[in-house]
Amino acid sequence: MKKLLSLMLASAMALSMLTGCGGKAGEADGETDMQVSENVKIGIAQFAPHGSLDNCVEGFKQGLAEAGYVEGKNLEIDFQNAQADMANTNQIAQSMVAENVDLICAVATPMAQAAFNAAEGKIPVIYTAVTDPVAAELANEDGSGTGNATGTSDKLAVEAQLEMIRAFQPDAKKIGILYTTSEANSVSAIEEYKSLAGGYGFEIVDSGISQPADIPMAAADLAAKVDCISNLTDNTVVSSLPVLLDAANKANIPVYGSEIEQVKNGCVATEGLDYIALGKQTGAMAARVLQGEDAKTIPYETISEYSLYINSAALQTLGMNCPDDLKDKATEAE
Amino acid sequence: MALILSVLEQGFIYTILALGVYITYKILDFPDLTVDSSFPLGAAVCAVMIKAGINPYLTLPAAFAAGGIAGLATGMIHVKFKVRDLLSGIITMTMLYSVNLHIAGGQANMPIFSSENIFTLSPFADKLGEYNKVLVIFIIMLICKFLMDLYLKTKSGYLLRAVGDNDTVVTVLAKDKGIVKITGLVIANALVALAGCVMCQDQRFFEISMGTGTIVIGLASVIIGTNVFGKLSFIKTTTSVIIGSVIYKACVAVAIWLGLAAIDMKLITGALFLVILVISNFRKAGAENDQA
Amino acid sequence: MIRLEHIDKTYNPHTVNEMQLFSDFNLEVKNNEFVSIIGSNGSGKTSLLNIICGSIPIDSGDILINGESINKLVEFKRYKKIGRVYQNPSMGTCANMTILENMSLADNKGKIFDLKWGTDKKRISFYKEQLAQLNLGLEDKLGVKVGLLSGGQRQAMALLMSTITPIDILILDEHTAALDPKTAEIIMELTDKIVKEKNLTTIMVTHNLMYALNYGHRLIMMHEGKAIMDIEGDEKSSVAVDDILDVFNRISIERGN
Repeated sequence: MKKLLSLMLASAMALSMLTGCGGKAGEADGETDMQVSENVKIGIAQFAPHGSLDNCVEGFKQGLAEAGYVEGKNLEIDFQNAQADMANTNQIAQSMVAENVDLICAVATPMAQAAFNAAEGKIPVIYTAVTDPVAAELANEDGSGTGNATGTSDKLAVEAQLEMIRAFQPDAKKIGILYTTSEANSVSAIEEYKSLAGGYGFEIVDSGISQPADIPMAAADLAAKVDCISNLTDNTVVSSLPVLLDAANKANIPVYGSEIEQVKNGCVATEGLDYIALGKQTGAMAARVLQGEDAKTIPYETISEYSLYINSAALQTLGMNCPDDLKDKATEAE
Repeated sequence: MALILSVLEQGFIYTILALGVYITYKILDFPDLTVDSSFPLGAAVCAVMIKAGINPYLTLPAAFAAGGIAGLATGMIHVKFKVRDLLSGIITMTMLYSVNLHIAGGQANMPIFSSENIFTLSPFADKLGEYNKVLVIFIIMLICKFLMDLYLKTKSGYLLRAVGDNDTVVTVLAKDKGIVKITGLVIANALVALAGCVMCQDQRFFEISMGTGTIVIGLASVIIGTNVFGKLSFIKTTTSVIIGSVIYKACVAVAIWLGLAAIDMKLITGALFLVILVISNFRKAGAENDQA
Repeated sequence: MIRLEHIDKTYNPHTVNEMQLFSDFNLEVKNNEFVSIIGSNGSGKTSLLNIICGSIPIDSGDILINGESINKLVEFKRYKKIGRVYQNPSMGTCANMTILENMSLADNKGKIFDLKWGTDKKRISFYKEQLAQLNLGLEDKLGVKVGLLSGGQRQAMALLMSTITPIDILILDEHTAALDPKTAEIIMELTDKIVKEKNLTTIMVTHNLMYALNYGHRLIMMHEGKAIMDIEGDEKSSVAVDDILDVFNRISIERGN
């Protein structure tokens, strides 16, 4: 009985804490315009603070706006960032479900899984920056959702990237890849690299790390063994990109990026992702769901087009040039 | 209502973990960092077994056992190799990271969305709807609590309490205090891994990084519980740990709900932590003055 | 019976702090004998206890209890035969456990600490009986945490706990030194009573010359690792405090302080 009592006490305390406080996150973002008939409230849950993921969210809002859902007008957004803490992802997802938002946009795999689990099919989940929705059990092999969810994959254009590297470095044999063993997306990307590299006459040399502190040694070691380095969207490695670039510069080899931000930050080129575009694409999908389409029936999408971004300054430092036949296609990343 | 349910769900799962942390931190006075890896260890064991089609209920004892082995490792490193407590935990935690990845077949993330779990198989699944999960977790948590209450009243439990209290007494009783410490670490990490197992089935995926910061949650729960409610004589310490765990989760939920800037979360957690410790220290000092 | 044979012990060997404490030290304490050991600081009396209990290893020699060598046994195993009360009253009891729990712990010495109940309800009346003879009223406070007791009460409990199960040797490590004179007196009388009742072979290290003279069968004065005085029986009862003080002062002068 005592135990039951103390339990009830605990619940009561939790309850009073919850009801005792006012305002909600979204309200700060703007007044709801009552003239627009259809008001929706969505939750955006981002896994970690990270340039690419920030771009996703930015693009997502743009995509929704283009479809008529404008934040502060007919759209209320509850934005949360889990700070890469798994305990937070579950609580954020559950709090959004408790708020009964119309839709949850989940950014990155663990957040998508947590949201998918918490929503229990009652609230549609639109995910983005999930490399392999099938492996994450968010989608079936045919692309349809395993539940009330759909979204976009940020799967790398590995084949296009290999082709591009071959064009930049006709004699290169070994491509080095640095990745974090704990990041599922990186592990699956490496597998794809390995299975495709042979077709372009490359050999993949991978080096796994477990924490940022491992990067300086692993990068120096890797740079000495290979002809170039191709970067993934590995969160840990991307966060320490300057260290990797430094090691590569010392070994006088180029680092290819996997998305535009990395090229801006010093990688020579990428045939890759623009996360803003990916976010926009996701926003458009979200709009369809908000208008009544069933998320489960919408196949997940990969980025519709990859584009070539180059960093001429970085190329010059290494005494390299953009191959003539790629020049027309290439955009300077800045 | 849904939010309260979620706070209780999360709170009760972390209670199982906090009971383990209570043994190491409060009873043994051993800052055990193994927790950050034994939590995902339980989850990894769980995910792999469920993927293999094994009855989800069997994952609970399996995770419990796996966690026990992790605790055994930390205990052996500390007692037999005479490595400092903090370092022993760090060593096991570091090594377990790789072990966890191996258990999960090299996958850092393993979803079990499409499989049955203890919640879908629960006898209340149809009848209770949204209350099913919280009830199942509550029952598992309560079993752990009662077993622990019982254990602490056994001879072996007495010895465990004695070793944390004053290990000289244990030596004078002609008992090896090292073995008692190891026993405590085994039980503690077994509970932590069990919490990881339940968590994995609650969120329906395993993720290698899910252990990061678990020790903080465990410590916060224990400290809130024992410092705020431990003074009330009619509440058992284990019960106060349950309350502490739920309160901690409620605080996090409130922080999220209020829309506190996410980047400040850890700062707020730390500050809350500090405030409780400082208050309880003042109280302790006050009590000592009263006695004198 | 306990016998120390040819004990050698040098602290910090091969360093500038090298200090030879015992060289071929021998001591025999017969069964049921109550020995008091006095001596100045650094005379080796506390080291002697630690050597017997195994918390300090010896360089060579042997330690035998009832003819059986315990020299190879690790510290905790030696306590199967030994009971010990420390100077600090908090060393002998568990502060966060109740009086009853502490008594139960002590009562289970020598048994397996398994998953049976820690407190055997049938033994409670026995514990009360034992506590009652302390005359401190502890028998009515079984549920009280020992940490809430006074130093004297805790020391009385420690004494009771260390003698509640059969032991071959009782070691008293200046067990009255941290108490006020009145409490010390009570504990000393209690000690004498228990030792006599149970016929315990006892080694008591003390700073108190009166206690050393008034209690026990035999008195040893230690100095620089040697027993410079070892008297018993009639000789001991005829000796006065002043005689011992004389010896004590002489030693101190020799040492230059």
